[in-house]
This record gives sequence, structure tokens and C-alpha cells, in this order.
Amino acid sequence: MATTRRQPTKAQIRREKVEELVIYPIDWLEERSGLVGGIRYFLFRNVPSDINWMQTLGSAALTAFLVQAITGVILAMYYVPSAATDPATGKPVAWESIVNISDNLTLGWLVRGMHKWGASVFIILMFLHMGRVFLFGAYKYPRELNWIIGVLILLTGMLEGFTGYLLPWDQTAYWATVVGINLNGTAPILGPWLAQFLRSGQEIGIETLPRFYSLHMLILPGGIIALITLHLYLVVRLGVTSPPWSKEAAGGEPVEADEPARRPGLTRPVPRTANGTAMQAEPGGRD
Amino acid sequence: MAAIPREKPSRIAQARAGFAQYKADVKERGKAFFPYAMWHDTIMSLVVVFTIIGLAAIWKWSAWGPHHDPTQKGLLGPIVDPPADPGTTSFVPRPDWYFYFLFYLLRIFKWPESVFLGTIGVPTIALVLLLGLPFLDRRLERRPSARPVAMVAGVLTILSMGILTWKGATAKEALASEVIQDVPRWIQQENLPPAAVPGAKLFATAGCTACHTYAGSGGSNLGAPDLTNIGSRNLGIQFQINHLKCPSCVNPGSPMPKFASLGEQRLHQLAVFLESSKGTH
Repeated sequence: MATTRRQPTKAQIRREKVEELVIYPIDWLEERSGLVGGIRYFLFRNVPSDINWMQTLGSAALTAFLVQAITGVILAMYYVPSAATDPATGKPVAWESIVNISDNLTLGWLVRGMHKWGASVFIILMFLHMGRVFLFGAYKYPRELNWIIGVLILLTGMLEGFTGYLLPWDQTAYWATVVGINLNGTAPILGPWLAQFLRSGQEIGIETLPRFYSLHMLILPGGIIALITLHLYLVVRLGVTSPPWSKEAAGGEPVEADEPARRPGLTRPVPRTANGTAMQAEPGGRD
Repeated sequence: MAAIPREKPSRIAQARAGFAQYKADVKERGKAFFPYAMWHDTIMSLVVVFTIIGLAAIWKWSAWGPHHDPTQKGLLGPIVDPPADPGTTSFVPRPDWYFYFLFYLLRIFKWPESVFLGTIGVPTIALVLLLGLPFLDRRLERRPSARPVAMVAGVLTILSMGILTWKGATAKEALASEVIQDVPRWIQQENLPPAAVPGAKLFATAGCTACHTYAGSGGSNLGAPDLTNIGSRNLGIQFQINHLKCPSCVNPGSPMPKFASLGEQRLHQLAVFLESSKGTH
């Protein structure tokens, strides 16, 4: 900083004013919520330098989920969850609204097609992401809870698939759901109750479709969004693991208590005992 | 330098120390999430979105023929199947592909002895094992080369799910138009009386063979038993009718759909056919 101040030029004054205009609302928001600091932490936190492409599968699954959310909201504007028969055509109203979306609406085929195929992509990516976490042993301490949340997201995602499958109200949807609900019904104690609840009665009927629709677009998405938020919070809080085979893995390689050090000195010095033999390397041994 | 510990540190102490080391290493020589990691995430996300758009486009443009028939099949199946009709039962119940592994489990476990294993038993055990994985595998070791048991278990899980999905996808479907041609053979092999013939034709076309096998015809699905010699159990016409009307009322836990919509006359024909089926000779 210069000690002597020259008179600022007009351009400088103008620039300062513009800067103030931009910074003021950001400061206002930060002072009242801390959100700006949160976002800054999220973006500029360090991740291990050796992370690899396999570790993009989680965010890829998140992208697939966002595609489902956006296309789902658009579909909800045009889809009619009614199994009643349209007196003009003799066809179910829900089925007709699906044909209308796919045929008449501008880009309706694209929105419905993305929702239909995005579901499969979402499920595949969740399984691949789970496989990556398993391969990396990333479910181990301290990330056990996030593994459990991840399994619950997978489960909720598959329930989304099951409830969404009925909505076109076509033959495949109807008969797969009849049998699917009957299979639920074979579970002990809760089974018959669950089947009754899903069908809204003894048979799949006019009330079943709105029930599946409500589950599919209100209850299950609410649950899955809450779970995903928690999942991401824990990812940011606990950090991303290094590939376990990496030479410069953050945290080094864990060494079992009963196992001799395999690669001493790579990430931490190996303490020596009084008689000069190498001690087992212990995580956190570096001071 | 810290004092050298004289005792082996406990598992949790090692785990905590390892994580503290991880935090320190990341702080010291990690790289910022933005832009480095986020750049990779962005590219991958674009691949995902364009893949989904591509699938939607292939699905739509290969299916939608010149006649604008939405039930016409394209490379990725029809836009929509014919409207749901609780009256027609000749439709093969088929879930979305990611449930095929569960669907095919029910070909392995047959009604009534072990179907419970296929519907609830195996999936529940698999889910509990999956949720409990971090507590089953408590070693701190993360390198795949030093986790042979976990790696073998993982590969076996992927293989078995893959095979079940593949088998479910390629399972032969029993088409009514093909099964009906087997009826003369049934009459001959089973020595069916003339009174059982209308029921046999109905059995071939009403969707029964989507799940049940009969004298070598039909597809075996959802744990449904073979009915070639169901009549030898002498359950009685009335039992058969009651069962067809509401399977789970007679056999608690049966996943079979209700066939009451066929009407009394046709149910009676089916019951006569089933009671006459004493096995092939």
C-alpha cells in the first residue's frame, strides 16, 4: 500500500462505486446468513490431489437425479393421474394424457423420454457409485453413516422406479404392479397391511393411481432430497478419500496393528525403538 | 518427537489418528475442489445429460411410425403399451429392468415351499448385509489387494446380480398364440375328457401360462408351480373356482392375481380342466 495518496481519478471513483454495489449485497447476505462463507468453503475446500475419474460417479448420479426432478416437475403440469375412462374415447384419462405428452406437446416426447430413460441412468449410476465406494473401501471409518444413507438413497430411488412404473396406466404398468403389490403382500405381519395401503383397498382400482402418484412425486422425492442433502453434507464434512493404491494417498495407507509397515517413510516417518528396529508405522505417527 | 507408545493402539485410536492424518494431508497438499475436481464433475455430468437425451431420442424416433400408433415398438420399446385393462389377463407381468434380478429370483424359489425366500427372504438378507457392511468389515485396510475376502464377495455379488438380470431379460415369454397350438398335445398326453377342452383353450389364452408351466408349455415365473398334474391332488371344482377368484384368500401369501373378472362360466371351465389334469402319461 502506498503511503502517499494521490487524488483518485474519476474512473477510479466510478470503479469503487461499482465494486461497492456488487459487494454490498454479498456482505449483507453473509452477515445475516453465513451462506457466502459456506459456499466459499464448499468450492475452495481442498480435496486429495490424487482423486480420479471414478470419483465423478457420485456427482454424475446427482446430475441424473436433477434431470429427474426437472423433467418430473414439467410432466406434473400435463399428466392427469386418473384411471377413470374418458367417455369420448373409451380410454383411461391417465393413458391419454401420456400419449398427449408424447405426441402433441412441443418437445413433450423429450421431457417424458428423458424422465423415463433418466430413471434407468440414475439407477445405473447409483450402483456404479456404490461399486466405486466399495472398491476404495470408502465406507470405513469415519464414513460408515454415509454408506448407510447411500443405501437408503438407492432404496428410495428404486421405490421411485416402482411407483413411477404404474403412472402411464398401460398394460405393462398395470400387471407388473398387480404382481408387485401381491409380492409385497407376502411379507409377514406388515405385508398384507402394506399391500392394502398401496392398493387403497382389496383391488387395484381408481384410487390406486393417485396414491402412487402422490408417493412418486411428493413423499418419495421429499425423502430422497433430504437423504441426498445429508449425504452431500457428510461428503463435504468428512472429505473425499484418495484412491487406496495411490503413492501419495492422503492419510497414508492404513497399517493394521499386527502387520509390519510395508512402505515406511512415504507419508510419515517410522519411529524407531531403542534397539534400532523399525516400529510398526502408526497412522498419525507424524507430529 | 512424541513418546513411542508401548502398547498397540486400539482400533478406534488408529482410525482416529489415520483420519487426523488424512485431514492434515489434504490441507497441506490437496487441491481446491473448484476448479480442479469440479471440472471433471462437469464433464461427467454433461456426458450423463447427453446420454439421457440420446436415449430419449432413439426411443422416440425409432418407435413412432408413420401411422402414429403409440404402441408400436421401436429399438427401445413402445412409447406406451395398450391401456390398462383389468379384464384381459393375457399380459405377462414384467417389471422395469432393474427389478429383473428380483423377478428372476422367483424362478429359482418355487411355490409354495420356498417362494417366501425369493419374495422376502433373500432380498431382506441382502439389504441388511448391504446396510451393515461398514460394521461387518471393520478393518482399516482400504487397498483392494489387501482385502481378498471383500473383493471376492463383491465380484460374486456383481456376477450373481448380473446373471439374474440377464436371465430375467432373456426369459422366454409364453405368447397365447403359440401356447394355443399346444392344446391338442395336452389333450393327448393328459387324456383330457371333452368337457375339459374349453378350459384348456382358456388356460392357454387367459394369461395362465405367463407364470405357470403345463406339460412343457408356458413360462415359469414369479414362483408359480407347474400344473401338469394339479388334478391328481383332487382339490375339487369348487376349490379351484374359489382359488381363481381370489388366490390369496385360499392360499394366504399367494402373489397370483385374481381372475374373478373371467366370470362364473369360464371359471367353471378352467376348474374342470385343472381337475382333469392328472399328469402326462
